[in-house]
Formats: sequence, structure tokens, C-alpha cells
Amino acid sequence: MSAALREARWQIRRARRGLVGWAVALAAVAGVYIPFYPAIGGDQLQGMVDALPPELSQALGYDRIGSAAGFVTSTVYGLLGMALLLVLAVGTGARTVAGEEESGLLELSVAAPVRRTALVDGRALALVLRTAMLVLVLFAASAALVRVSDMDVAVGGLAAGSLQLWLFTTAVGLVALAVGAATGRRVVGVAVGAGLAVGGYVADAIAGLVPDAAWLADVSPYAWFLGGDPLVAGVDPGGVLRLVALGAVAWLTGRTLIGRRDLGV
Amino acid sequence: MTAIALDGLVKDYDGTRALDGVDLEVAPGEVFGFIGPNGAGKTTTMRILVDLLRPTAGTARVLGEEPRAGGPALRARLGYLPGELVLDERATARELLAHVATVRGRGAERIAPLAERFDLDLDRRIGELSKGNKQKVGLVQAVMHRPELALLDEPTSGLDPLLQREFLALVREERDAGTTVFLSSHVLSELEDVADRVALIREGRIAVVDDVAGLRAAAGQRLDVEFEGAVSAGAMDGLDEVRIDGARASGVWRGAPTPLLARLAGLPVRHVTLRDRNLEEIVLDAYRGDA
Repeated sequence: MSAALREARWQIRRARRGLVGWAVALAAVAGVYIPFYPAIGGDQLQGMVDALPPELSQALGYDRIGSAAGFVTSTVYGLLGMALLLVLAVGTGARTVAGEEESGLLELSVAAPVRRTALVDGRALALVLRTAMLVLVLFAASAALVRVSDMDVAVGGLAAGSLQLWLFTTAVGLVALAVGAATGRRVVGVAVGAGLAVGGYVADAIAGLVPDAAWLADVSPYAWFLGGDPLVAGVDPGGVLRLVALGAVAWLTGRTLIGRRDLGV
Repeated sequence: MTAIALDGLVKDYDGTRALDGVDLEVAPGEVFGFIGPNGAGKTTTMRILVDLLRPTAGTARVLGEEPRAGGPALRARLGYLPGELVLDERATARELLAHVATVRGRGAERIAPLAERFDLDLDRRIGELSKGNKQKVGLVQAVMHRPELALLDEPTSGLDPLLQREFLALVREERDAGTTVFLSSHVLSELEDVADRVALIREGRIAVVDDVAGLRAAAGQRLDVEFEGAVSAGAMDGLDEVRIDGARASGVWRGAPTPLLARLAGLPVRHVTLRDRNLEEIVLDAYRGDA
């Protein structure tokens, strides 16, 4: 087994208890929103949203809340589920290299007969796998609840949304990891990762409101994730490609830059 | 091939010079003590040897290779105990050591015997272990694969005296099995019995390198003497650091003791002691710059 795979396995093993907690939380997010759609959804909810200023409902992503797929997007995939996964991905990404370097935990790993690049590869892979497992849990919970509630949401749409949610949160997490690996400072990794997620969200909202700023959606990772409305329209190949590219560039940057500096000082 | 060869090693960071031209050679098979106060550059040197830090100038060679160029293949031949040991609190000692053995590809068979020897409970989570027990985990991972060169930064910190003795016995055994040991300390007495040679570092420079016997000879012996009456003139000639207080006198004698004993035999001595100076005193000399 290669050094990177061994490292990934060890990282996931170490985090296994925490992973269960995150899985429960994500399943709960689906559980507190989706079953209420049949009671409050459809025309009633659409009426409430229509009463809001259109700019506000659009910025909040509520403009699509009237349909079942739009409701799941606006509450679970585009809001609370996404937020939880971003917290996990950014927190893990920044901690797994920079945080452990600051605490001194990385010292033994770097002194072991393993390349620094393999340490970054393994930790990046562990992050990719952890978000994948959690998105799978969210997908399974959502699919089951949608079926039980007899809602008009295609499983294919949920799968497309899940894929893009996974790619979005993972890419942002990898940016936090890369910045941490390049600087050795956890807080910088968290700031850049969180800034990218929030900045992308704001850019997407502005792009929807100001015609001259429509180009902002092209550079917003949040728009790459949800702009194509994957729960309704299915996979958005352009968005998927950009998210994969963002994650790949971050990973390559992190593994290159960590080799060029002093560690733990 | 030398086990460690440092040539004009300089390391700057954060605007301070941590190492200021360190020259040092450690021969294969020896136990080499690296002594200095905190902040003298011991940990910086260790970290350069395992490629955590890169030199600003000068070269370091470990088992014939530069640490960065040697990469994982070189580090596979090393054991390393960090000066500030931080271990994953969530894992048990057994899990962590098994993982280290997997990464290194050897050493697993020595985990249980070493744990037993140091009375280490492998099944408790590391977060629940005392500082001394964590240090044992650090020691086991540093030597269990029988490295060619063990780099141990303050290995006895946190160990009680009994365990320190057990650890030093282990160091001798590893040396006899072929491991070169490079260990640092700011407590000199514990290296006195185990180190073949000792280097004293202060403010990023090597002050003295010698074997323990040589340091002792250079250090001389301390004479304390009490006369029947006032100290006679010339009684303390040839001694350094002479102090006279009424009928008592003390000083440091270097060289063979026969002439000193002959002189004292002709004087009215009430009480006399002559003893080796310990390494602490020698190092104090070196720190003052007169060794």
C-alpha cells in the first residue's frame, strides 16, 4: 500500500468517532426540513415568499422554494446541510496540516520515512473520503424522506445535487488545506476557506440581482455548485468541471508548497 | 562514514540566529551527548537532521547524506524523539505504535517487550497518560525499529530517576546492538554515565567537544583543606580559583595529584578532600568561556 493511502486510512481511523456525530447531524438536517414540506409547502410557502421583497428572496435562494425540489435545495442542500459540511471541510482542511503543525503533532509524521507530499496527499484524500461519506448519508436520508413524504423530487436530481454538494464542500476544504500547508497557519487556512465560501455565496447573490455583475456567477464556487439547479435539472457539467479543477489546483498547490519551507517554527 | 557531520551549520529564523556555525562529527557506534541550556540550539540541530528545518548556510550530513536529499530512504534509517513530544491523544498507545511500525515496515515485534520493560499500558488512550508515560511511548517509537542512528531530544525529561536509569540501560544496549545514539540534555549528570563523547553548545556555537574522561582531566579536581592554623604562604600555589577563609582553603588542581599531596604532607592539615569536579561545574566553565 502506498504511503499516501496508509496516511489516509490512519487519518480516517483517528477521526471515526467524530464522523459518526457529523453523520447524525446531517441526517437530522434532512429530518427537520423535508417531512414538513407536505404540510406547509407548495402554494402556501410560495405565497409567503411572494410577500418578501424579490431581491431578498432571491438572495436567500428562496425564489425556488415553491416546488418540492426547490424546497429541498433551499433548506437542506443549499443552506443548513451545506453549512455543516463546509464547517467540517474547512475545519478539517485547515487542521489536518497547519493545525497539526502548530500543535506539534505533525513533527513525528514528517520525521517518519514518508514524503511530505505523501502526507498532504493522504490527508487530502482522507478529507475527500470523509465529505463523500457524509454526503452519502445526507443523500440517503433525503431520498428516503422524500419518498416517505411522497414529494415530487427525482432521485436522479438528488444524486446530482449530492455530487455537486460533495465537490463544492470538498474543493473549499482543499483550499483551506492548501493554504494551511503553504503557510503553516491554521487560522489563515480557515479564513481563506470560509472567505471563499461566503464570498462565492455573496457573488452569486449579486450576480442574480445586478445584470452588469452577472459574470460574478462564473467565478463563484457556490454558483458552480447550485447555479445550474442540479436537484431539478441534473448534473451541470460545467459546474462539476470547475469544482473538480478548483480542488485539484488547491491540492497540487498544497503538496508543492509544503516541501519548500521549514516546518513547525 | 560519519554518523553525523555538521560543517559551518547556520540557521536563522524569525530574525534570530539559532545556529551560528556549528561544526561537529559523530562517529558510528558512539553515544554522543549534546549538552546546552534551553535555547542554545539543540532542538534546532535535531530538527535539521530530520529535515524539518533547512539550513541557512553550511551543510549537515546524516549517515553520509544531506537530510533533504536523503528523503524518506534516509529517515527510514533514523529514530527520532522530539524535544516537545506531541502525540495523538485520541489513539491508544498500541494503535499509534502499530501505525508507526506499519509506516516504517518494521519494529512491531519490539512494541510489547519494550512496553513491558518500561511498564507502559498500551491499551489506554494517549490522552489519559501522564507526561512520563507519553514520553515512554515516544521512546519506544524512536528505537523499536533498531535504527542506525537514534536522535533523542531531551529523552529523559518527564521520567522519574528509576526510569531514567532503565532508559540509559536501554541506550547502552542499543549502542551495543549497533545503533549510534545522539542525545541531548540540559541535565548533565545523566549523560555522564552513558555518553562516550560530549559536545557543549551555547548560543548556537559548539564550545567544547571531548570524551567524558578528557573533560574530567581538563576540569581537574577540587581540593578542600582545613589547616591547624592560618593557611601558610604558598600552600595553594598552582591551584586555580583559590579561596581562603581563615584556616580553610579551596581551589582547583589540574594534573597529576602527587606534587600536591607531597606539599600537603609537610603542612599541618586537619581535614582534606580531593574530588573530581562534576560535569555541571565543567559546563559552567565553558559557559563562562574559560574552558
